[in-house]
Amino acid sequence: MILKDNAVESNKGSYRISTEYLKSNMRRDIITKIIEFLFFLCALVGVVSLIAIIGFVFYKGLSPFIGKNAYSIKEFLTGTRWAPSEGLYGIFYMIVGSVMSTIGAIIVGVPLGILTAVYIAELANKRVAMIMKSTVELLAGIPSILYGAFGLGIIVPFLMRISPRVQGQSMFAVIIILTIMILPTIISLSESAMRAVPRAYYAASMGLGASKMQTIFKVMIPAAKSGILQATILGIGRAIGETMAVMMIAGNPTGGLPSSIWSMIRPLTTNIAMEMSYASGRQSDMLFATGVVLFIFIMIINFTMLKIVRKDS
Amino acid sequence: MQWELAICMGKYMATKLKDTILKGAIYTSAVITVGLLLLILGFILIKGLPAINIDFLTRMYENKTTYVSVPNNPSPGDNTSEITGYIRSIGITIGINDENQAYVKEVDKNSMINQGVDSIGNPYIIEKGDIVTRIEDINIKNELSGIEGNTEKERETYLNDFIHRVDKKTETFLTIKVTRTGGGIIPMVVTTVYMIVLSLAIAGPIGILGAIYLNEYAKKGRIFRGIHFAIENLAGIPSIIYGLFGSLVFVKLCKMQYSILAGALTVSIILLPIIITTTEETLKSIPNVYRESSLGLGATKLQTITKVILPNAIPGILVAVLLSIGRVVGESAALLLTAGTVARIPKALFGNSASGSTLTIKAYSLMKEENDLTTASAIGIVLIAIIFLLNIVSKFITKRYLSKKGV
Repeated sequence: MILKDNAVESNKGSYRISTEYLKSNMRRDIITKIIEFLFFLCALVGVVSLIAIIGFVFYKGLSPFIGKNAYSIKEFLTGTRWAPSEGLYGIFYMIVGSVMSTIGAIIVGVPLGILTAVYIAELANKRVAMIMKSTVELLAGIPSILYGAFGLGIIVPFLMRISPRVQGQSMFAVIIILTIMILPTIISLSESAMRAVPRAYYAASMGLGASKMQTIFKVMIPAAKSGILQATILGIGRAIGETMAVMMIAGNPTGGLPSSIWSMIRPLTTNIAMEMSYASGRQSDMLFATGVVLFIFIMIINFTMLKIVRKDS
Repeated sequence: MQWELAICMGKYMATKLKDTILKGAIYTSAVITVGLLLLILGFILIKGLPAINIDFLTRMYENKTTYVSVPNNPSPGDNTSEITGYIRSIGITIGINDENQAYVKEVDKNSMINQGVDSIGNPYIIEKGDIVTRIEDINIKNELSGIEGNTEKERETYLNDFIHRVDKKTETFLTIKVTRTGGGIIPMVVTTVYMIVLSLAIAGPIGILGAIYLNEYAKKGRIFRGIHFAIENLAGIPSIIYGLFGSLVFVKLCKMQYSILAGALTVSIILLPIIITTTEETLKSIPNVYRESSLGLGATKLQTITKVILPNAIPGILVAVLLSIGRVVGESAALLLTAGTVARIPKALFGNSASGSTLTIKAYSLMKEENDLTTASAIGIVLIAIIFLLNIVSKFITKRYLSKKGV
């Protein structure tokens, strides 16, 4: 910015002032550019972290399958015994355990969650709705090991009494706890999805003579379908990734496909958590490999969610 | 005509029936949800409440045995006093508890105990409640276990005899072996607080500055979508995988060993998506009018951000911080593999003495290794109290500050 000089001041003086002004402007611009670059770097930290996590975990996890002395991937993925002392690393029975318990949790948890969400969104009056929402938030905030304590203290003894097996630790216990854990996610997301449905749908349906129940189940829920689906998928992700809550109630056998819901299972997550503290060498690598398998499941789930979101918008 | 009427009525009743069943299902689900919460909270409370007392909340976890050197001040003259167990030369009163252990009942105000020093030379003040196992060569522990019977009279007799022997001692310093009982959660609380502060210190600035970039500077292009994609993916990764990453990179590669720094770095990555998404939403909700008027008055973009936008975003950022604190408090899988399970206050950021177990990790070890559901539930009560408090404060902030938006 060039200062207009009055006739009194000499030209030299005004130029000096204006160059100083220019210099301080330039300095401020440079500092601003640096700070804005800093902002950009901070935003990039997330991307860098994701790449680093994928990179390191995959690198360590895939290492036992490459090079000399490689362990066969087929053995790893289809083996039904995990015995590091004998050099056996089969995680198929773990995959089955994780997947089946997740499916079980979804079968029970999603309907339960949607119905509760319907209650909060449509049927409850304002005060009750607020209480319910606080309830769900509190449920969501409870740390997962406390769910494990609850499982160990109430669910397992209860199951021990009705189970045909000796022990209460079983896939059934895992399914129950996982259901309770994914409930808050499903409820809150489904409830938001239903609240987002335009009131006009509701009014139109009632106006056409449908009962409230018919409106909810035939109009509102289908309209909230994508939100509910998102909630379900998030629930699946949560269920398959849960570690601490299920570690004490799953039984964690060293092998054997689960034959019924009363069988003990060893989810992929607990395998990692249990042995990581003392594993080394090949066993440690194999735990990372278990992590890779888990990660791949999560990525499939995430991609499915993205496709649903894209399909919607 | 009557047929049609009947069919119509039938259909109507069928619908009514279906509706009633559905309504019943809805109410049942809601009741089940609330019931589950009450069941879980109730179980934790009932199981854990018996273990909650002042000692639990204020003591260290491990029993600590120390050899304390206390100046001996034997006073001549009549050394019998009315109080059983009173040692005049040091100024403490000893009693015998129900477990047949000698413990410190009272400490005089000007007692020599205040000048006690441990074997390294650091001052160590014996407190009320500490168990005394030995004074000089008198092995109280062995002697007490040898005494038959447990009556008051026998204890008094023993104590009087014991005091007599101590009073006879003329050394300038008496070496007393005391054990301070543990059983408290203070180290875990401190470790948890360290973890919260450290991980927020790392993730907070990065998250907030990143959110500022995303909302104020980024163009809605590939970079923007790429960063969002990464953030959403990060949020979906199970914490055990974070634990794997942390244990590989921070604990082993960076040679931090099991330490709070390794744990905090791992947890800070977990917190990043929470802080970025919440802050970004807050920034989005600030009306554009603020920005436009500020720019119109001649401020630069940076000045607008620091002087106009950020102050308005503070309530939202506070909510992000509270959410993060809740997340750190409840985190267990990632910390298990990075911060260790030792129940002590970490003395360093990384290295040998830097590991520590947070409240959650301790609850886990108690359940897994000692099958101690009671103490674990007691820790659970503390955890739930913290989460509850955070929820209330967060709701308060949301109600008070975030609802009065708009120009």
